[in-house]
Amino acid sequence: MADYIIETQDITREFDGFKAVDGLSLQIKKGEVFGFLGPNGAGKTTSINMMVGLLKPTSGQVIIDGQDMEKFDKAAIGVCPQEIVLWDNLTCQECFKLMGDMYEVPKDVLKQRIGKLLEDLFLTDKANVLVRNLSGGMKRRLNLALAVVHQPEIVLLDEPSEGLDPQSRRVLWEYIISLRDDEGKTVILTTHLMDEADRLSDRVAIIDHGKLLKLDTPENLKKEIGGGDIVEITLTDALMNGKVIGKLEEMENVLSVLEVEGIINLRALNAVGKLPKIMDGIEEVGARMADLSVRQNTLEDVFIDLTGTRLRE
Amino acid sequence: MKFFSIAIKDLKELVRDRKGLFFIMLFPVFFMLVFGFAFGGMGESNTPHKLAIVNYDKPVTLPTTGESVNFGNNLTQLLEDAKYEDSDVHLFNVTKMSENEADELLKSRDIDAALIIPDNFSESVLALINHTIMTTTNPLAASESTPPDATSTLIIRGDTGFMNFGVSQSILVGVLAQYQDEIVIQTQNAVRGTPGTQPTVFLNSKVEPIEGTQNFTTFDFIAPGMIVFAILLLATAVAASLTREVETGTLARLKLSKMRGFDLLFGGLIPWSLVVVVQVIILLVVAVAIGFHWQGGINSLLWSLLVGVIGGIASIALGMIIAAFVQNDRQAVNLGTLITVPMSFLVGAFYPLPDVEILGVPFNAFLPWTHTVKALTSLLTYGGGWNEIAYPVVVSVILTVILFAIGVVVFSKNRLKAEN
Repeated sequence: MADYIIETQDITREFDGFKAVDGLSLQIKKGEVFGFLGPNGAGKTTSINMMVGLLKPTSGQVIIDGQDMEKFDKAAIGVCPQEIVLWDNLTCQECFKLMGDMYEVPKDVLKQRIGKLLEDLFLTDKANVLVRNLSGGMKRRLNLALAVVHQPEIVLLDEPSEGLDPQSRRVLWEYIISLRDDEGKTVILTTHLMDEADRLSDRVAIIDHGKLLKLDTPENLKKEIGGGDIVEITLTDALMNGKVIGKLEEMENVLSVLEVEGIINLRALNAVGKLPKIMDGIEEVGARMADLSVRQNTLEDVFIDLTGTRLRE
Repeated sequence: MKFFSIAIKDLKELVRDRKGLFFIMLFPVFFMLVFGFAFGGMGESNTPHKLAIVNYDKPVTLPTTGESVNFGNNLTQLLEDAKYEDSDVHLFNVTKMSENEADELLKSRDIDAALIIPDNFSESVLALINHTIMTTTNPLAASESTPPDATSTLIIRGDTGFMNFGVSQSILVGVLAQYQDEIVIQTQNAVRGTPGTQPTVFLNSKVEPIEGTQNFTTFDFIAPGMIVFAILLLATAVAASLTREVETGTLARLKLSKMRGFDLLFGGLIPWSLVVVVQVIILLVVAVAIGFHWQGGINSLLWSLLVGVIGGIASIALGMIIAAFVQNDRQAVNLGTLITVPMSFLVGAFYPLPDVEILGVPFNAFLPWTHTVKALTSLLTYGGGWNEIAYPVVVSVILTVILFAIGVVVFSKNRLKAEN
């Protein structure tokens, strides 16, 4: 048994000269939830399409459980695509049955499995409803359930909570955690939602413009940019941002001050206690404040620290 | 048995997509109705042909009796009175009119043909009579004298692209030749005072219809082709359905499973073949209802279903090939129509065409549907059995197997392998 269940070795994928993925090398441990965090267009989906064999890398190699991608048993991987990929004119039950048959799941096992999945994802009363008549959230859950109907070792979830309402998102997150904790599955998750990556992932790979920027646990990533809270300040006149940043940098115990998309982003220990001094500093340079917020350090701040920009929607 | 699960899935999707299924079934029926009503009466025997007569003829005086005669009027009367053999139905429905009126009616196809009688027609007929008298009474002098230069030209005018004109024109040519012969014989009889003998006939011709086809209309020869047209159109529906599977991502989902290309494509054959069976039955019922003279009994129907399914499989294969190259279902429909409609003409679905040779090779003979048309026409129009359809069926099976293999290879290569 290999130490890592998936290993990508310097994989690159080009589309008409554009590098969607550029020399990506990473290793994913068995039984972990591995998060791919990056903005839309960062190369996350292209990366996982290469990992599951839907797309051939322009160069590099994907190794699954110590074997070349081509030789690996397809049934060991389950993929939940970013888009809702369902047969509108089949019922939930029929979709399950079809995918179970395609993965050669024995009839009795399949029957039990379908019952459990319907229950786990709160779809039992919709078993015989046509997919086209389900709500968006129900379709998302079914989309995920179809990826695991054959009980794969590796589950790839591409932006699984995209467009989900909070209730469906909570159901989905609980299910992802149960896949790891109760069933011992390896889950690879792509997302552009920081809290999703933060809460669910054992390790997070931050990716942008097809390149791996950082790979570690969420805690380590946040520690790496230091502790402290984040104060975000919006001035009435953004042209004053430079002067204000210069003033705030002079303050004690301020870890960093950056301008991100017209907003001043200040990271400091005990930021709340420093708020009066911050406001004094702004007044001293003759600027006026339009908005101010204080929040805890998140993975997005790690991304900002790494790229100088926010995660793009 | 993964192909069976795919077949069940495809069948359920087809049946539950009521609108789609309705159009797949209704579209060919609509064509059958249009062709049935357009060609249902055409070619049926004992139908008068609409003929306009433009008579410029000037009367002449007969030298023997001093009587003034207009042979143009005489010919017109003869055409008005002419009847089908052993029938009370007139050959022509004659209307006298001006040349301009006739041209207008020809353009609008309100008449089948116009006969223009020139002003010297009577003069020519008189010259013919005089020459006949001379050759009968004094053959030696007649051979030495030159015949009078009094030729007149009757014009049969019409739209050469109009099938009715072709029929009317051939009948008119025959009637006019007979008119001239009759003048000669009657003149000879009058001169000799006894009935003249008919010229010795060595060659004769007789039109004999195939048993059971006496009442056939053009539609009877088109209806089996219309069924093949419907079968060919399935290629477009299959291509659109497969492309939708690509577009919605469900094919990628299936690709990730243990399903093979064969399972997907062979599984797809079953529901589409059922569609073909239903289509053949519906179209045959509609065709019979609007006047198709179906020959043969239930056996011919069963054979037709088999022949139709073979043609349907060829269409499914064509659909796979189309789906392998298009990006979305709209493109699939456009390309499918672009291919299947001209192909319907090539295979002779609407009317028999001569072999279309490309670089010396008869291209249409390599299309399975050409043989489907032949087999269905043999079965349904002529009431043939296995002996009559054995050759086209065997050939179409061979061609269909080849086309299906090409379809599987091309579709699998372009759609079921990892993207390069």
